[in-house]
Formats: sequence, C-alpha cells, structure tokens
Amino acid sequence: MSAYSDGYYLLKATIELSASSLPIETKLERILQSITDGFQSDRSLLLRPEAIPKEGFLSRVAETRKPLWVDEENLFREEGVLPEERDLLCKAFACIPLSDETSFQGIFYVGFSKGRTFSSGEVDLLLLLAKEIGAAIRNDQLHRVAQDHERRVSQLSTLWELNKALLATVHFERIVHMTLTAITIGDGLGFNRAMLFLVDEKDHVVKGTMAVGPNSAEEAGKIWSTLSQRKGNPSELIAQIESSTENHSILNSIVKEIKVPLEHEQCILSRTVLEGRPFNIRFPLDGEEWVQTRCERGCALSSEVGCYVSEHLSRDPRIYSFATIPLMGKGKVIGVILVDNLFNQNPITDEDIRYLTMFSSQAGLAIENTLLYRNLEEVHQELKEAQTFLVHREKMAALGELSTSIAHEIRNPLVSIGGFARRLDRTLPADASEKRYTRTIVKEVERVENILSHVLTYTQEEAICLKTLDLREVMEESLSMISEGLRSGGIQLVKVFSEQTPAVKGDYYQLKQAFFNLVSNAYESMRGEGRLSIRIHPHMKNGTSFVGVEVEDTGGGIDPEALHHIFNPFYTTKDNRLGLGLPIIHKVVTSHQGQIEVNNHPGSGATFILTLPAQEEKQR
Amino acid sequence: MMKILVVDDEESIRLLYKEELEEDGFVVEVAKDGLDALKQVPLFKPDLITLDIKMPGLNGIETLKRIREMERQVPIVMCSAYGEYKQDLTTWASDAYVVKCADLTELKNTIRRLLRLL
Repeated sequence: MSAYSDGYYLLKATIELSASSLPIETKLERILQSITDGFQSDRSLLLRPEAIPKEGFLSRVAETRKPLWVDEENLFREEGVLPEERDLLCKAFACIPLSDETSFQGIFYVGFSKGRTFSSGEVDLLLLLAKEIGAAIRNDQLHRVAQDHERRVSQLSTLWELNKALLATVHFERIVHMTLTAITIGDGLGFNRAMLFLVDEKDHVVKGTMAVGPNSAEEAGKIWSTLSQRKGNPSELIAQIESSTENHSILNSIVKEIKVPLEHEQCILSRTVLEGRPFNIRFPLDGEEWVQTRCERGCALSSEVGCYVSEHLSRDPRIYSFATIPLMGKGKVIGVILVDNLFNQNPITDEDIRYLTMFSSQAGLAIENTLLYRNLEEVHQELKEAQTFLVHREKMAALGELSTSIAHEIRNPLVSIGGFARRLDRTLPADASEKRYTRTIVKEVERVENILSHVLTYTQEEAICLKTLDLREVMEESLSMISEGLRSGGIQLVKVFSEQTPAVKGDYYQLKQAFFNLVSNAYESMRGEGRLSIRIHPHMKNGTSFVGVEVEDTGGGIDPEALHHIFNPFYTTKDNRLGLGLPIIHKVVTSHQGQIEVNNHPGSGATFILTLPAQEEKQR
Repeated sequence: MMKILVVDDEESIRLLYKEELEEDGFVVEVAKDGLDALKQVPLFKPDLITLDIKMPGLNGIETLKRIREMERQVPIVMCSAYGEYKQDLTTWASDAYVVKCADLTELKNTIRRLLRLL
C-alpha cells in the first residue's frame, strides 16, 4: 500500500459495497476482492465463527479479541498451531477479530507470501476495514432478524384474526377450509399445501377430510403471484377465504379417499394421533428423523399420504418432505394436519412447527366445537323426529282408545239386538213373511260384530305373541326380576344350562312370568337358607325334542295334603298371597303344549319339572 | 236340574241369557252386579256362573276372586265384551273366557262342556 489516496479509495469502496443492497455473500466476496487487490496480498479470507477450530492460534485470536500481526518485525511463535491452520502461516499475515462489545462475527485474515512489515497506516486501514466488514455482517444479521420478526408478527396477527373468525362460525366445512387456507396463505404460515385428517372414534380410523393447495407447480406459481398482488389487512383476507369455500381440487379428492386404521402404527398419520406430537420429515434424509418402516402400501415414506401424493404427482416418495401436527381438541387428539412445501421446496423449520402447533390448538378447539355442534344438531333433529313420531303415535293411540271404547259400548246392545232377533226368528213359523226381517237383523248384527272384531284386533296387541325363544335367556331374565330381599342371604344358586338347549316357540312375557313364579316360589320356600338348582337341557320323548326346565329347592317340600290343590287357582299355603303362582305356571305351560310335574320330597325339598316342545328345526 | 247364575249389569243381556238358558233346560237366576252375585252364590248354590267383567261397583275380576274364596269348585265362565281381559292373568282362575256375541252358540257349548253335558 503506497499512498493514502489508495487507502481512501479502498475504504470508500468498502463502505459503498457494505451499504449496497447486494446479498451478503456477494457483498463480502467483493469487499475481500477489493482488499486483496488494494493491498496486493496473496489472499484475504473471512473466517466465520463456526469455521474457527476450538484450539490453535485462531481460537486465541477469537478468545482474546486481539488482532494478530505477523511480519518481519513481529515473528510468529509456532506453538499450538493445528495442522489445518498451517496453510494460513505465510511470511506475513494479519488476523483481525470482527466484534463489537457483545458479539463476534469471525476473523478477517490477510496473508502475504513475501516478507514485509505492516506500517502503522496499513494497520489502521486494515482495522477500519475489519470494522466495516463486521458492521456489514451484523447489519445483515439484524436485518434478517427484523425481517423474520416482521413475518412472525404478520403471521401472528393473521392467526389472531383467523382465530376470531373461527370462533364466529360453527359451519364445519367453512372452519376447516379457513384453517387450511390460513396455513397455506403467505400471510399465514405460508406452507404450499395443507391437509386435514380427522379421527373417527367409532371406526377407529384417521380419515382424510379436506386439502388445500395447488395441484401443480404452475398453478402454485399463478396463485402466489395473485396473492402477492393482493393487499389488505388480515381480516380482509379472511373475508376472501370465507367467500370461497368451494374446493374441487384434485388434491382434495385424493385426500378425501384416504383412510388409515389407527392400528397401523407404522403410518405417520396414526403415529401423530397416537403419540400426540408433531413429526417433521425432512429432505434430505437425515438418519433419525426418517421413519424407517414401510407402510402397508409399500411406501418407503411410511405414510400412505406420501404414497398417494407421490403417486399422483409422480414424485419420488424418498425425497418428499412434510410435517404432521396433531390437532388437539379438549384433552385429546381429534385429527392430524399435514403440511408440505412440495412446490418451492422450502425447508420446514422447527419454528414453523411451533407456530403451526400454536395455531392448530386453536383450530382444533374450533373444529371440535363444530363437530359437537353438528352432533347436537343431529341429536336435535332426531329428537324432533322422535317427538313428531310420538305425537303421531299418541294421536293414533287416542284414536284407538276411542274406537275401542265405542266398540265395546256397541257390543253389549248388539248382543241383545242380535240375541233377541234370533229368539224372535225361532218363534216365527217357517213360512212367516216376517222371517225375512228377523233374518236381516241377525245377519246385519253379525256384520257389525265382525267389523267390531276387526277394529278391536287392529287397535289392540295380540294377547299371545309367539317368538323363537332361548329358555336360558328367558330364565336369566326371570332371575333378574327376583327381588334383592329374596336373593340375599344364605341361598346358593346353582345353574346348569346345557349348550345344546334347542329353541322354543313361545310367548316371551308369559314364559318369563311363569319362570319368575316358579323361581320366586322356590326362594320363598327356603326362607333364606338352602340351595336352588336350575337346570335347562334338551330332552327327547317319543322321538320328539323338548326342552326340560328343572327348578329344585331345599325348602322342605310340599305338604302331601296340599299336593292335589297346588295347581288350583287361589290355593295357597303362604299368608297374604293370592294362590295364583302355580296355576299361572300350569296354564302357561299347557297353553304352550308343555307339561309340568312335581317331584316332591316332604321334609327336604321339591323339584318342578317343566317340559316344553322344542321348535322344529328348519331344513338347512 | 242344573242351576246357572248369570251376573251382568245390563238388563237386556240378563234377560236374553235367562230366557235362552231356561229354554235349554237350566234353572237360571240373575245378579245385577258383583255384590249381588256374592249374596246369591251361597243362597242359590249355582252349578255354574257366567260372570261379566266390566260392571259398576265390584267388577268381574274382583268378584271372581271373592267367589273362589267361598266356592272353589263351581265352574265360572267369564263373559265380556272385552277380549283383552284374557291378558289379565287373574281371569285364568276362571274356567273359560267367552267374548260376548249375539250368537250364543259358543257360550252354550262352553257351559255344556263345563257341566259335562256334552
């Protein structure tokens, strides 16, 4: 460096470059080049903090923040020089730390292969240049931080507006669409595409619900250019989202087809739900982050989505980066949001994931609310229908009741009219012309009686309703009707129900009542102590199949005197009880073409044995 | 001669049954309600009773219970315009249940069967 004027021009060039709008890398490159040229040095370098080894002479410069000057007057002591630092040891060189009070931006290095001495002017100039370089780097860093903050603030305000908008609607499709759009618009989280999958608890699957994003890179480009032209505050943008809920994209229809059982733990969607944490699947693959297993469809991505998406977009699933975030409802995962940057290949940062998680927790609540609301609406609709039905039924019932009572009122006088007409008819001689009248009365009364019978059978339930029954179930039902008071205490219940018990055709209520009577009689006879054995089994008699029902108690048996009367109505040995228990059993059993027998052991107990014909097996 | 007690609150029915059954050779007495019937049973000592169910005061089902307490063996035919009382298991304590009809053939056959006259 010969003249001050050269120094002046070098400094001027550096300041101008530093203040320019060039990208930082170009800026630094050009500054270094002009310094190399100006000083006619062999090389000048910028060593960023991450490139400085932990030991060696460079680390000493970094630690002490003191410049190192090596020339013919200041000789270098080669102690603790690392092998990789040897390259920097020229005849003369300078290492100037770039730092201010709080931060360190690296080391500025100038090296000369010929021996020389740094003049005090040169030292000053290099120190000034180093200051300028440090400032340029710091400015750039601050600028980036500021830009990032600005973006985050804008994102946050968009998200805030969106949250407000989300809470203002209960329309499911709209909320989901708004959520996904918020994730994809530049002012929101700015992902290329967003897809929502909801957990279906009933079917235990994760189901594709909606997707938002361009179908191709061209479409993406078109949308982004439109978006960049679109100006306005977040709430205006949201209004625009709201007005465009139509979603006919190919991606949307692909995603709607996707259904992954939650049991498929190897699938990323299921894992996100089950583990309740986000996954950031990055490209290029970096070991740990990569989910190793293959999904059932053989996709190395281990995600059916990736598989589908890559298939449909002819993408190699191995280079597809995406992230999944659990959608949280109140205390549980209600779905998964999948985002990617398929078209611009921007990396998904952990910061992105944090914002997305924050947003999705709000969206999750809103979505859960709409789901609950939708449920509520469905239930409300069902209730309304049930109410209409009930009102209708009540009307019908009232009508039925009315017609029944009218029918009955008419029946009595009809009996008299018809009855006396018959008597009159019989007293008339066979050739009497009045016989025509009496016959007409009799016939017409019969007609009215027929009509009444029809009305009555229509409005009242059939007295006996035959169904295919499993007597074991009927017995269980009867046992469940036995009151706590009877069951508790020292009575041991032994049930032996054969697996081969055939079905019986019978009236459920009548048989239940009969079994109930039988069992409660047995309980009562034992007075709180003993053993009640109930056996149900198939029983063959004369080549016909029956079901045998035996109820055995240890209640002392039946007084032989009374044995003849037990099936008579109103006969009882118990106090305060109308003796209808056994007669009812008898009547039920006989009306079902069955039989009832008693094995009586006076002093010890009694066994009632019912046999009911089994239902004829259908030919198979 | 067999004696039948007809219990019914409708006078025309009582008259019809009485005349028809007397014509068939029975001795017939009538009661206009349940309480009346309870009074007549020990005096008249019928061989069979036809019992209406829907009656003011003591209805047929209550009357059935009370008669059974006095007379276990006498056959009782429930005779009602209502078929649905068949579902009331208490009526099972009777011997037969006939739905009223202008054609008395079913009633008469039932009575003959219960009195073993068929």
